[in-house]
Amino acid sequence: MLQDCVKELRPLFLPGAHTELRVQENRSRRAVLIGGDLTGNARSETSGISARVEKNGLYGFSSVADVSPEAAREVLIAAGDNARFMDAHCGRGEHRLPPLPQHRIDRTDAGQDSDPEQRMYIDFARDVDAYVAEKYKSLSSRRIITVADSMEKVLATSDGASGSTRIARSYLFLMFDAAAKDGTIYEMFTAFGGSGDFDRNFRDPTALYADIDDLYERLMKKCEGVHANAGPCTCVLSGELSGMLAHEAVGHTVEADLVLGGSVAAHSLGHTVASPLVSMTDFAHTAFGAPAPLPVYLDDEGTPARDVELIRDGVLVGYMNNRDSAQHFGMEPAGNARAYEFSDEPLIRMRNTAVLPGTSKLEDMIRSVDDGYYLVRSNNGQADTTGEFMFGITEGYEIKHGKIGRALYDTTISGVAFEMLKTVDMVSDKMTWISAGMCGKKQPMPVGMGGPALRCRVMIGGR
Amino acid sequence: MEELRKTAADVLARLKEAGADRAVCRIYRSETQEFNVDGGTFSLFRTLFDKGIIMTAYRDGRKGSVSINRFDTKALDEAVANCISVMTSGEPDPAWEIAPLTENATFREGALVCDTELLFSRTKELLDTIAARHPSVVVEQMIASHTKSRSVFVNTNGVEYQSERGGYDLDLTYSAHDGEATSSFFGSTLLTADLDAPFYERGSVRRDLEDVERQIHPRAISGKFEGTVLLPPSCFSEFLWSAISNYVSDTVVLDGTGLWCRKLGERVTHEGLTVSLRPYDKAVALGERVTDDGFIAQDYNMIENGVLQVLPLSLYVANKTGGLRAPNSSGNLVVAPGTENLADLIAGISHGIVVGRFSGGSPGANGDFSGVAKNSFLIEDGKITDAVSETMISGNMQTLLYDLHGLSRETECDGTSVLPWAAFGSVTVSGK
Repeated sequence: MLQDCVKELRPLFLPGAHTELRVQENRSRRAVLIGGDLTGNARSETSGISARVEKNGLYGFSSVADVSPEAAREVLIAAGDNARFMDAHCGRGEHRLPPLPQHRIDRTDAGQDSDPEQRMYIDFARDVDAYVAEKYKSLSSRRIITVADSMEKVLATSDGASGSTRIARSYLFLMFDAAAKDGTIYEMFTAFGGSGDFDRNFRDPTALYADIDDLYERLMKKCEGVHANAGPCTCVLSGELSGMLAHEAVGHTVEADLVLGGSVAAHSLGHTVASPLVSMTDFAHTAFGAPAPLPVYLDDEGTPARDVELIRDGVLVGYMNNRDSAQHFGMEPAGNARAYEFSDEPLIRMRNTAVLPGTSKLEDMIRSVDDGYYLVRSNNGQADTTGEFMFGITEGYEIKHGKIGRALYDTTISGVAFEMLKTVDMVSDKMTWISAGMCGKKQPMPVGMGGPALRCRVMIGGR
Repeated sequence: MEELRKTAADVLARLKEAGADRAVCRIYRSETQEFNVDGGTFSLFRTLFDKGIIMTAYRDGRKGSVSINRFDTKALDEAVANCISVMTSGEPDPAWEIAPLTENATFREGALVCDTELLFSRTKELLDTIAARHPSVVVEQMIASHTKSRSVFVNTNGVEYQSERGGYDLDLTYSAHDGEATSSFFGSTLLTADLDAPFYERGSVRRDLEDVERQIHPRAISGKFEGTVLLPPSCFSEFLWSAISNYVSDTVVLDGTGLWCRKLGERVTHEGLTVSLRPYDKAVALGERVTDDGFIAQDYNMIENGVLQVLPLSLYVANKTGGLRAPNSSGNLVVAPGTENLADLIAGISHGIVVGRFSGGSPGANGDFSGVAKNSFLIEDGKITDAVSETMISGNMQTLLYDLHGLSRETECDGTSVLPWAAFGSVTVSGK
């Protein structure tokens, strides 16, 4: 239906200006159980149309929460007026972007659009909750959240590039709290799921039971944990954490808009920023011969998506661009301009950003550490445009004389990415991908991130 | 407004006809004008025409919500059917209630018409001022916008609130540079109902820009020490919200893990601390008027002289736990100022750190925190000295709140909150 609508509207594009017209629908479904009480039970759908018009390098944008020829006319006029306003008030003179090649990309196959009924989200959460409530009565609290979200887009540009795409993902989040002997409460969480609609990812609650048991056991270890010893340390970061590192600490600094905004990577292109063992890529839709966690085939400027090599053997070799920044830096756009909702303009965003695997075995990496930490899971991460990063660590263990020791209480690690990456001296041969979170940068955006385990030096918080 | 009232009433009627015994509907239309600056130059002018409906249906203690952004008959038919289906899927819980009818009200405030030319002028003026007075600062992004909205809240108890409001937002992100040396990025935000004064002179914008210029060449400290942390108002606000969320928010009260859940009427912080939620404070722009649950908002003191007076609970969690709902659900945090000048407060700190921004993991349930002190300075012998880098701070939020060393007489307001500077002890500062 969206496809037909855009076809009808192409004749309305303003002559002499570059125009993008996008129709989009976002859906979300959510059920929340806290201690067995259903505290959240909601579904939302937003759809609308937007236009972006470029005139001499300045953009006008408009959106209307409606999908109709009238709405299209309204946004095309408003976006054109806004582009003219910008050109009149702060025009940069004649400026043209290289035209997009004419192409059509239709990839709405990221899972069937099955959109299961709300009952399924609740029943699945209930089944898991019943198992936990019956088996683990000593927990202080339990929270179970089932969620799904999707975005479906149809795009047409005045250059003739067009297409339709759909990204869908679904998860079950599980959070346990338990009291240590002194009464202090500790928390552990995990996420199940990934790309695709809920009924594709969650068919049988019993399939999760072994992982749920494992989560409980790890929480019990944490309740008998120790504080990390604050200061610099040798550690082995899990693949999940190296994925966060790829996204937060390196990925953001090499988004070209942040480079232009003063990120540390402005001075680092072509320079060694990491150990020769480290390579990093922002994958578009396919990684290592399989679909990436959240495949992007076409971006919201109409550029076909392809991989962007960021670090090759320790040398920074690329930025992620939109059409504008690609022209500025003399690079090729590769499909990183993404918008979250119909009312959002495309921004430079990551897709599936990952450190590439090496050759070491995780067990050898742990065995090689005399006194350090194995850091497994994080609940959040932030990074600066200086490359200084921070990850909250919710699961970690001491390594003493090459063996995993006591669990750690919650802590934080930090470092400066382009310094810390130079300390990487072992890279494991196995990848871990995660895709449950949202990246925040004016707009939220679902992204994938991944990596192998890394042995490196970081600062750790603690006592 | 009549279109919104009519549609809202229609939604309630449809939900009841479809089987709901109670129902709530929020409906709005909004228009936003927004200028964007990227990498120091204007890039984009956006105009957004938005609308939405959030409908909630109840029957026999079951609740279901659906939100859509279309008002046509077909969309409403589908949404109502969907909402009833979601509700039916739910579990019965007598704690779900809707607001009773007390008095209906109409609110009309703020800048209801966007002065687009003046908004552009004020935005350009700030950009020009930064270039002239802070030449080392690179503006990563600036978003200056005006949003006006019309909304209606109705429920089947006869409650009806109409609201028409408009205001200007500024969101500025920047860093300072000297060759390849760079500060951490920092952000300043504002909400205002008028454009009478330059953005540069409002809130903490000028001070923030001055501070970031002094952070280009930070010093990495070595070793660790226990000292005093001085929090500027914006960082103090984030710290308090983190403590409130961790110790006494809906979720932790419901699951019983919040440390302040059962401390109503007891001391939970130093006696010098009075924390309020004041949407009607004169300094606050466009404060909350109707709560999330459909009550007219009222100001209240959450913590008074260190004693927990009110738990910030929703109606559902209040019913669930036998408590009282909070008089508002706003983020309009107001902390009573202290009696010392900021300069005297700093002079009294022998060894500590000013933390402009905290980048840390979510604190554990017990309030233990650790993270990186960003945009921060050392305090040595009563004076602010060097900016610091790669410095971590750690401690426990509860311990800090008891170890208040002082609050400044001076306050800052970003249009949403009003806070002084706050100095706390018991913080471990560690460097390389």
